[in-house]
Amino acid sequence: MLRDITIGQYYQADSVIHELDPRVKLLGTFAYVISVFIFRNIPGFVLMTAFIVLCIALSKVPFKYMVKGLKAIVLILVLTGFVNLFLTPGAPVFEWKFIAISKQGIYNTAYMMTRLIYLVIGTSLMTLTTTPTRLTDGMETGLGFLNKIKVPVHEISMMMSIALRFIPILIEEADKIMKAQMARGADFESGNIIKKAKSMVPLLVPLFVSAWRRAGDLAMAMEARCYNGGEGRTRMKPLRYCARDRIAYLILLAYMALMIVLRVLF
Amino acid sequence: MSIIKALKLTHEYIHRDDEGNVDSIETALDGVDLDIAEGDFIAILGHNGSGKSTLAKHMNVILSPSDGTMWVDGKDTKDEEKLWEIRQAAGMVFQNPDNQIIAGIVEEDIGFGPENIGIPTSEIWTRVDNALSAVHMEKYRNHSPNKLSGGQKQRVAIAGVIAMRPKCIILDEPTAMLDPVGRREVIDTITELNKKEGITIILITHYMEEVVNADKVFVMDHGKIVMQGTPRQIFSDIKTLKEHHLDVPQITLLAHELKEAGLNIPDGVLTEEELLHILCQLS
Repeated sequence: MLRDITIGQYYQADSVIHELDPRVKLLGTFAYVISVFIFRNIPGFVLMTAFIVLCIALSKVPFKYMVKGLKAIVLILVLTGFVNLFLTPGAPVFEWKFIAISKQGIYNTAYMMTRLIYLVIGTSLMTLTTTPTRLTDGMETGLGFLNKIKVPVHEISMMMSIALRFIPILIEEADKIMKAQMARGADFESGNIIKKAKSMVPLLVPLFVSAWRRAGDLAMAMEARCYNGGEGRTRMKPLRYCARDRIAYLILLAYMALMIVLRVLF
Repeated sequence: MSIIKALKLTHEYIHRDDEGNVDSIETALDGVDLDIAEGDFIAILGHNGSGKSTLAKHMNVILSPSDGTMWVDGKDTKDEEKLWEIRQAAGMVFQNPDNQIIAGIVEEDIGFGPENIGIPTSEIWTRVDNALSAVHMEKYRNHSPNKLSGGQKQRVAIAGVIAMRPKCIILDEPTAMLDPVGRREVIDTITELNKKEGITIILITHYMEEVVNADKVFVMDHGKIVMQGTPRQIFSDIKTLKEHHLDVPQITLLAHELKEAGLNIPDGVLTEEELLHILCQLS
């Protein structure tokens, strides 16, 4: 169950998308997220879909990996869908007892659901094709200007890359603890939501303790390998833009321009 | 020339209560004298709580002495300016392979150390390539560490240390969490590094079988070094070892029992072949 979470997982493949500069991918994802929120008609939807389908095809990541990421947000999807569908005011097109669905409600639901789904697919495409180190490298270099206003960019990106690296380890550990507790008669499946939440406590406490211990160990290992903050560090894989990245920026620019035009014109 | 030297090295863990008053003082190292020659393969033995891990942490300046002095590569570990030089000269590998790998890709993790000490990019790549081939992990350079076995992860950790070109590597129970195959891999790797590259190895362990090939063995108990010598000398004295809650390799024990039973066998037999040879000559 827990092993299905793919957020922050890297999928190794040899593709154009994988080789793009992480700064391009970060900015691209950011732009895509914006475009997902500005679309409001069919042509926009078509363009948005075409763009992501093209990216996925180029990335050579199997589509089922994207869908796996969606599983984690099923509950949110259903909830937003429900709220939008039944609670949007307007002239009802369907009425049964106290339930009323308006035309606006149907539209809102469709928009919201598509937005959420595309949001998750777009961002998981980025994390699936970029190693956590490259991603944080991209953030560190791309957001380096924030250093001037005393934002500890290096520290934040180091923390993020470590967090990403430990997600699979902690998931595996949670799985192990869960099985150990189940072997001793713990029940994680039955009961109502409150009972289920309560049954998580014996899972979370040992997981939390072990995360602390790991953090201590890792800090010691980093110090032993001369880690001394961002100052004076060199890069094994420094970021340099090449032709491919410039083309990607152009494509991105064209895409955003089209999306805006489609919104304004139609 | 000695690479690591300790004189009356003492370390106390001070436990404080909530108000900050000293609750109890635990002496983990109690006046340790130590002299390790460059290029040696050293093993440090001791049961849990004997102070061997604390000693290892002093060699990498993760801990600093409460009293006494420690020199690593000729530098006093109390000298804060020399801290990074010492850590570069004396690399450290820890017990849990998962908790010491920082990056999500094998080669990037090996590059982490050289990045920290400011090595230029092209040089980092040469070092990473060399380190990978030194531990025979070239095939896995683009893998995620999560998909490797315990022994392989530990070899990646060793490569990460080698990439910093240390003079000595301290391994704090590197095989404690591994299966027998992984243990073999790690021990073979460090033995090869010692023989081929001449890197000083300090192996802290409680598996007796891993100690057999060491040049010198130190036995610790209650924060003191209680025995030192070649493996043969150490394992000849089964009685003293038992007093310090340590076992001897099974084959040594077998030879010892046979001797007690009246056969003409010398003390301190270390390997199966050796015992076989002696037994053949008896008959």
